[in-house]
Amino acid sequence: MSESEQRPRCQAVTKAGQPCKNYPLAGSAYCAVHQSVSSGQLSVDSEQQLPVTSYQLPVTNEQPLTAEPSGRELREQLMVELDELIKRLQAMTPGYTPPPFSPRGLLEMLEKNAQRLSAADRLGILQKMRGAITQDVFDVETWKGLWYMLNYTLQSQADVVKRRFTGEYEVDEWGLDWEFLDTVRPFFTFLYKLYWRVSTTGIENIPDSGRALLVANHSGQLPWDAAMISTAVLSEHPAQRLVRSLYGAWFPTLPFFSLVFDKIGHALATMENGTRLLQQDEIVAVYPEGYKGVGKLFRDRYKLARFGRGGFVKMALATQSPIIPTAVVGAEETYVSLAKSDSLARLTGFPYFPISPTFPWLGPLGLIPLPTKWSIDFGEPIPTDVVEPDAANNLTLVSQLAEQVRDTVQTMVNQRLAQRRSVFLG
Amino acid sequence: MTEEKVVVVTGAAGYWGARLAGRLIAEGGLRVVGIDTRPPTPAVEGLDFVRADVRNPLLADLFKAEGVDTVCHLLFRQGARPDEKTFDLNVIGTMKLLGACQQAGVRKVVLKSSTAVYGAHPTNPAFLEESRHLQGSRRYADLGHQVEIEVLAQNFHRQAPEILLTILRFAHGVGPTADSPFTRFLRTPGAPHLLGFDPPLQLIHEDDVVEALAQAVLNDAPGVFNVAAEGVLPLTRILALAGKISPPVLPPLAEWGARLMATAGRPPDRVWPLEPSYLRYRCVADLTKMREELTFAPRYTAVEALQSFTEARQDTGQVNDLTAEDEERLRQTIAERQSQ
Repeated sequence: MSESEQRPRCQAVTKAGQPCKNYPLAGSAYCAVHQSVSSGQLSVDSEQQLPVTSYQLPVTNEQPLTAEPSGRELREQLMVELDELIKRLQAMTPGYTPPPFSPRGLLEMLEKNAQRLSAADRLGILQKMRGAITQDVFDVETWKGLWYMLNYTLQSQADVVKRRFTGEYEVDEWGLDWEFLDTVRPFFTFLYKLYWRVSTTGIENIPDSGRALLVANHSGQLPWDAAMISTAVLSEHPAQRLVRSLYGAWFPTLPFFSLVFDKIGHALATMENGTRLLQQDEIVAVYPEGYKGVGKLFRDRYKLARFGRGGFVKMALATQSPIIPTAVVGAEETYVSLAKSDSLARLTGFPYFPISPTFPWLGPLGLIPLPTKWSIDFGEPIPTDVVEPDAANNLTLVSQLAEQVRDTVQTMVNQRLAQRRSVFLG
Repeated sequence: MTEEKVVVVTGAAGYWGARLAGRLIAEGGLRVVGIDTRPPTPAVEGLDFVRADVRNPLLADLFKAEGVDTVCHLLFRQGARPDEKTFDLNVIGTMKLLGACQQAGVRKVVLKSSTAVYGAHPTNPAFLEESRHLQGSRRYADLGHQVEIEVLAQNFHRQAPEILLTILRFAHGVGPTADSPFTRFLRTPGAPHLLGFDPPLQLIHEDDVVEALAQAVLNDAPGVFNVAAEGVLPLTRILALAGKISPPVLPPLAEWGARLMATAGRPPDRVWPLEPSYLRYRCVADLTKMREELTFAPRYTAVEALQSFTEARQDTGQVNDLTAEDEERLRQTIAERQSQ
């Protein structure tokens, strides 16, 4: 672990706005994914993402500068790249004209945008900007280009809000809304990075393309674990793949939950949905423990409940999708459920009604999860293409495989628990 | 010269009946007999109109005398009071008509239905296949009747398998002239949505409804098919595209309101044209069978269909001011014409 910390990381910024965590290729500052972006060979797909990239540009520039402030070559390379980016953006948006350029306006705008960052980062960026000006790094044209791009980004962000009211946005046939996902992603990233400080291993077990079925343990009263698995794959995986979690039939009846779940790409847990998503070469995540798992009592933590009726195995076999066992540790302690009330569950229509030291006594405050330290481990894929797809009808095989996956996940959980020294510090 | 195929369209005075009759006559090569209790206004040119009730037992004799090949049953009284008389016309009328078809040896029957017959339920898979059991809400008379007709038609198919039966289940029909529960919903001033719910919906352009029915009449495609335009639109996006400022309503209030109207014996769709559950849960039909077996490709996407509805609505509703763009456009046109 400590060895990997010392190796430099890729200098690019991912679509999620995070510094890329991949290791760079030999002789380059970028990893395999961002190599093409940096050399200007953009695929059609990544070109559509360009406005987002442009927004992150000022920050991208700072990192190499601090790393090697004296590298003249680096500066020149940067300027070439920056100019190329600006040219491409101008070609993409022929109708857009920014307000007239002024150095003062640019700095004001930078300051305004930097307010989204923490105070220390903000100060750092502004100081570096100041330093960059005295070092005469950029010529006037480059400054104008920066001005252009910032204005464009702000304009396009304002347009997102406007488009919500005029209906000019797209969703896929499942209801996935990328613009909505981009809006809520910072919240999940905050939970992932800062609140639960999730450490993820085995991300390389998830394929860059094609179908896969993640099978994870379920815990923590509310399905935060599903949200964190999605965030982990979206922000840590080099291909930034979207995980489609399958949720229980209770959620569509809840206001806001049903709406949000569909917009961030999840779907109801039915055989039809799971099979179809896998056939469309998506990554699907299932939690076969279901409500039994998520609603388990604190004293039963990390003891995996029964794995449903093996529906997930049937899905995987029928579509020949590899099964990736996934273990989430840390989520069990986010809420301390001491007892379950059947009568309150019946009364409220909840599938289970937990009684914890804070819930329901503190009302909504009782819903705030504890800031435990999490880890998510993606295990070795279990291949399913070694048998014929009609093996999905072989109930003996299905139940055996379900049992095997359950044991694997339980073992992974146990291993992680054995390494963990503190619930809150990891 | 071969004999002309005879096609009967019931409900010929209604919107869909008149439009399908017109479409089939334009196709040529067949004789179209329209049946309704009143003649269509405006008259459909080339239509052989017969004034009769679909429940009339003599229809079998008419079909035999005319040598009818195909019957397309489009008579359906919409948005009426949920009473016995409407039930008798919609459901018992269909039953009697199917009986007449069997008696007269009609070769093919085409029925128009709706994807709403599946019902909007929290347990629905994302895409409902034709084989899905029908759990449509019976609270609204329209829907209840539609489900009854479907069940009846499927039983009929078991009794008389020699008759080719095509049932087309359409998504919400929209367009410049269509009158469906959904267009009525969009025309209500408030067009509310349920707080915290945003189900995706499917739409179909009115022209595509007519075209799909015509294809089913002209070509043989026995079976049940979902028919909808490409693309699903979340309800709030539909409302935004239609230029609606939609107030949110607490779901239980909508539920109680609909129940209250039903117990009061008033048609609840006067106030709330769509059954509340369809604004709450997903009811999206799978279109694989439409694409692969029916080989039907709707001409309009869902967004285009909705646009044609809103544009037509804006045309009739508002009077726009004279704009600078209009002057500019005309100036350009004049310049272009002069240069030619």
